[in-house]
Amino acid sequence: MDAWDIDRIQEILPHRYPFLFIDKVTAIDTAARKVVCRKLFTINDYFFAGHFPGNPVVPGVILTEAMAQSSIILFAALKPEIAARNPMYYLGKAEVKFKQAVFPGDAVDFEIEAVKILNNTGIVEAKAKVGETVVAEASIGFGIKPRS
Amino acid sequence: MAANFEEIKKDVKKKVAEITELPEDKLKEDAKFVEDLGVDSMMALEIVASIEKKYKISIPEEEIPTIRCLNDVYAILEKRIK
Repeated sequence: MDAWDIDRIQEILPHRYPFLFIDKVTAIDTAARKVVCRKLFTINDYFFAGHFPGNPVVPGVILTEAMAQSSIILFAALKPEIAARNPMYYLGKAEVKFKQAVFPGDAVDFEIEAVKILNNTGIVEAKAKVGETVVAEASIGFGIKPRS
Repeated sequence: MAANFEEIKKDVKKKVAEITELPEDKLKEDAKFVEDLGVDSMMALEIVASIEKKYKISIPEEEIPTIRCLNDVYAILEKRIK
């Protein structure tokens, strides 16, 4: 068990406002090859202004992006020596099922489990949960390339 | 076991066809995944991960680059499950 704050997250993820969708890492278990990352969505999040006026709902693409960013956290936990060199991360494939809508005020936990992680590519299974309710799940493939 | 392994080869070929989105008749046993079939690294990893899961084996990272065609997949499987 371990946890990362936003400073540690930003050492790994190149993303920044308005496209960083993890607030903290609440659990890292390298033996089980799992991490849990959390994002609290609030009415102040910029995208609610347009998605949708008077009916704020978290866009599915943002949940997908948050699961992808959480996958990078898992990669960094399992391959710290590669992540320390700040490589480029690419989303290669995402098969996502959305099960329930997410609203302002929801804290979403992104549970990511490794299927296979290599030095230059990885596949994970991801679940987005609000409390114990699964709101989305995905199979995600990504690539890692050194910066030239 | 030999008959069983023939069944396994059939299942593997079917799975590889599904991942690569290629018809099974185009998947010749010695066709090179990357050069001949246009398989990218993500598909290659999907093939490895699906085989590991189905046959409950583990293929080490250093062996993955040696898997260049369907025959190589069969050889790795044969070594581990026979």
